[in-house]
Amino acid sequence: MKTPSEENHDLIRWLDDEMTVGERRAFEANWQSDPELAAEAESMRWLSERIKAHLPAEIPVPHADFFNSQIQARIAQMEVDDARERAETAASTSSRFLWLRLPWLAGAAAAALAIVGLVWTQSGSSGCSTILSTYTPNPSMKAQVIEHVDAVATVLLLEGLDPIPAEKKVVGFHVHHAESDAEVATTTLFDENGAVLAVVALNAQGQPQMLK
Amino acid sequence: MTTTFQRQNIFCKSGLWRRLCLSCVIWHASFCLAQQPTPAVVRQPATDGKVWGALIYATTDADKLTGSAEQMPTTPQDLPARLAKVFAPYTHFEIIGQHLQDVFREYESWVVPSRDLFLKIDSKGPAEDGGMNLHLQVWREQQVVAKADAILRAGSPLFIGGPKWRGGQLLFVLELRKK
Repeated sequence: MKTPSEENHDLIRWLDDEMTVGERRAFEANWQSDPELAAEAESMRWLSERIKAHLPAEIPVPHADFFNSQIQARIAQMEVDDARERAETAASTSSRFLWLRLPWLAGAAAAALAIVGLVWTQSGSSGCSTILSTYTPNPSMKAQVIEHVDAVATVLLLEGLDPIPAEKKVVGFHVHHAESDAEVATTTLFDENGAVLAVVALNAQGQPQMLK
Repeated sequence: MTTTFQRQNIFCKSGLWRRLCLSCVIWHASFCLAQQPTPAVVRQPATDGKVWGALIYATTDADKLTGSAEQMPTTPQDLPARLAKVFAPYTHFEIIGQHLQDVFREYESWVVPSRDLFLKIDSKGPAEDGGMNLHLQVWREQQVVAKADAILRAGSPLFIGGPKWRGGQLLFVLELRKK
């Protein structure tokens, strides 16, 4: 049996139900003249249905934090590579424009570069907080990031959170300072008078528990 | 011999020997303490900065406010107006709890303005132009609801839209403060 490849891309689209009604009809009409394709399609469908029946639709990514950080590192590396490539291209192009090295042009170019640099610096150091990546362990939840220019704030909207029952009292703390003990993995929260408000301690599963 | 033995026995029985030893120990201890130039200094953990976190109740109905005594801070400037721009249609914003926290360099920091919604922060070092690279975790009691990698910069707070509550919504504000 052939394995799906670029040559039978249509077969994959048919299996994944990605075809339009017209495409699907045309594809299935080909089976009349190509019994080998018909047999392969039927075989692949049989296999696909069994795999779908035995595997969950969604599998959480193991060590998602590490996965995310690795992707970010890779993206950063690609950006550095792209920038280097662009710089090399620009350098080779500049050799064709030796006439630009005339003395009177050097001053003008320096001034222009200074202006461009100033504009670039101002736009680059806009001073806005940035969210690089998000992850929600619960697949029914979604995190949406908005950079709100008017409010000069970065917004992380958590959609799909269960509401807190109205009758539940949400009590706040006014934490003046906190002391952490790395050895026993606890953080003690104090008010302005030095009284203990709560102690955050991690349980065996690494979940925080509020003591007191 | 008998006299000597009796004397030694009296010396031991009367407790004089014990008293002498105890005096020596106290004298030695006080001498040692006097020799120490300074008391042992408790090492403070290294920090990368400070963050201010607040849990805020947003509502359209002033009558539903909880009556919290917490005051709006001077920074972030115009916080209620900025929140209103983002979280329309809410018009009333009330701080339920707030927490000013050092961000530790080598281990996690917790920003806990409330038991119900709080943050765990891991510093990933300074960012350009005075910002701070962070890994954030948003916790709702014992469940982490979201994780994010972020660059936090002073003057540009992070607003987190949390769960609905009492016809309104709970919001979390996190701002980088000067060290």
